[in-house]
Amino acid sequence: MRLMRVLLACTMLLAAWPCTGSAQTKPAAPAPADDPDKDPNASQPDFTLIGLPTTLRLPRFSSAFRVTHRFLRPLGAGDFGDLTSDFFGLDSGAQIGLEYRFGLMRGLQVGIHRTSNKTIEFFGQYSLLQQKEHGFGLDVLAAIDGTNNFKDSYTPSLGVVVSRELGSHGAVYLEPIWVNNSNPLPSEVVDDNDTFVIGVGARLRIRPTVYVVGEILPRVGYDPGVNHASFGIEKRAGGHVFQLNFSNGFGTTMGQLARGGTNSDDWYMGFNISRKFFR
Amino acid sequence: MRLLNRVLVVLAATLMIGCDEKLSDLTGPTPNLEPTFSSIQHDIFETSDSSGRTPCVQCHTAVGRVPSGGLNLTAGNSYAALVNVASLLKPSATRVVPGNPEGSYLIQKLEGAAGIAGRRMPFNGPPYLTDGQILVIKRWIEIGAPNN
Repeated sequence: MRLMRVLLACTMLLAAWPCTGSAQTKPAAPAPADDPDKDPNASQPDFTLIGLPTTLRLPRFSSAFRVTHRFLRPLGAGDFGDLTSDFFGLDSGAQIGLEYRFGLMRGLQVGIHRTSNKTIEFFGQYSLLQQKEHGFGLDVLAAIDGTNNFKDSYTPSLGVVVSRELGSHGAVYLEPIWVNNSNPLPSEVVDDNDTFVIGVGARLRIRPTVYVVGEILPRVGYDPGVNHASFGIEKRAGGHVFQLNFSNGFGTTMGQLARGGTNSDDWYMGFNISRKFFR
Repeated sequence: MRLLNRVLVVLAATLMIGCDEKLSDLTGPTPNLEPTFSSIQHDIFETSDSSGRTPCVQCHTAVGRVPSGGLNLTAGNSYAALVNVASLLKPSATRVVPGNPEGSYLIQKLEGAAGIAGRRMPFNGPPYLTDGQILVIKRWIEIGAPNN
C-alpha cells in the first residue's frame, strides 16, 4: 500500500507538468534550432556544484549523465606514506553514484540518481526565473530518496535554488531546502524527523575552462554528524566536466546531504564526471 | 496560475509520500510497543513476545514471592518502583532518571552494561530485548518518563 502511494506520487510528480495547460491540447513543438538553453554557459558549466544543484537549464529533449565517486578512506588516516601507498583512497572502497537527467520541457528537468548503498533518488527541477530577465536565477526543486532500491525509507525534499552569475567568472548559490523524514528512525522515538538545510555554494572560473567549486550545508532539525562541506577543482572539456573534490562525507543525494558529513576531522577524496548529450 | 498549480501538485505529492518509518518495523517482536509507560508495562513487563522472551513480572512480582531485586513490576506498582528510585542492589544507581536514558539503571540492566550488579535482564536471556525495543524504552525516559 505504501509502495503504491509512493509510485502514485512519483507518477504525479513526473506527470504534473507536461499534463497541464497547453501541453495537453497542442502537439509538442520541436525545440527551436536556436534554443538558448543549448548555448554554453561559462559561469555555470554543469548541473551540479559538487552535490548541490545549479540553475543551469537542460535543453528540452536533451539529457546529461553524471558519475559521482567518493572514496571511503579518510585522507587523514595514517601518515602521508600510508596515504600514497593507498593511492589517496583508490585502493579502498568507494560510494559510487550514477545519474541521468532529461529535459522534459523548456526549463524542466527530471532525473534519477542511484548510489552504491542502494539508494535511489528521483528528482525534478523547474526554472522559474532566469538571470537575464530578473537579475538572478531561481529554480524550484523536488526530490525523493528511497533506500534499499527505493523500497524502505523515503526522504522527500522540496526547495529552491537561487543563483547569481558573476559575469563569466562563475556563480554563487543559495539553496534553502526542506528534507522530510531525513531521520531513518520512526518519528515516535526521535526529536527531529526533518532537516532544513541552507546550501551555500560557489563556482569560480580561474582559467577559461578551469573552475574551483565549494559548498556547505548548514542545517537545523535532524543534524547528525557535521554539516556537509565540499570543495574541488574541475576542468570543462567540451560537453564533459571532470571534477576532483574533497568532502567530509559521502552524500550525493539530497537525503544523504541532509544527514551531513561523518566527522569534521575526516575528509575524503572523490570525483564527479559529467557529460552533456547536446551541442 | 499554471505555475502555481504545478508547484501545488509537487508540494502535495511530496507531502503525501513523506513516509515516516513504521514504529512496528523497529520494535520487532512487540509490534504494538510505543514509548508510553502503559505500553511498556503491557508489552515488556507483563507479556512475552514472539521471540520467546520471558516477561519481567515472572520474577519481579510480589505475588507468591519476594520481588527479585526488590523491584515489583506488576501493574499499579511498577511506576513508583522505577522512576527516581535507587536500585536495591546498586544503591548508587537510579532505576529511571527522567530525561536521561543512558544514566538510567533500567537501561543499563537491559543492555548488560559494564558495572551492573548481577546479570543482564531478562534473567534467563537470551533472548534479550532487541535494540529497537530498548530504543523505545529509552525514548520514554528521554521525554521525561511520564506516567502515561
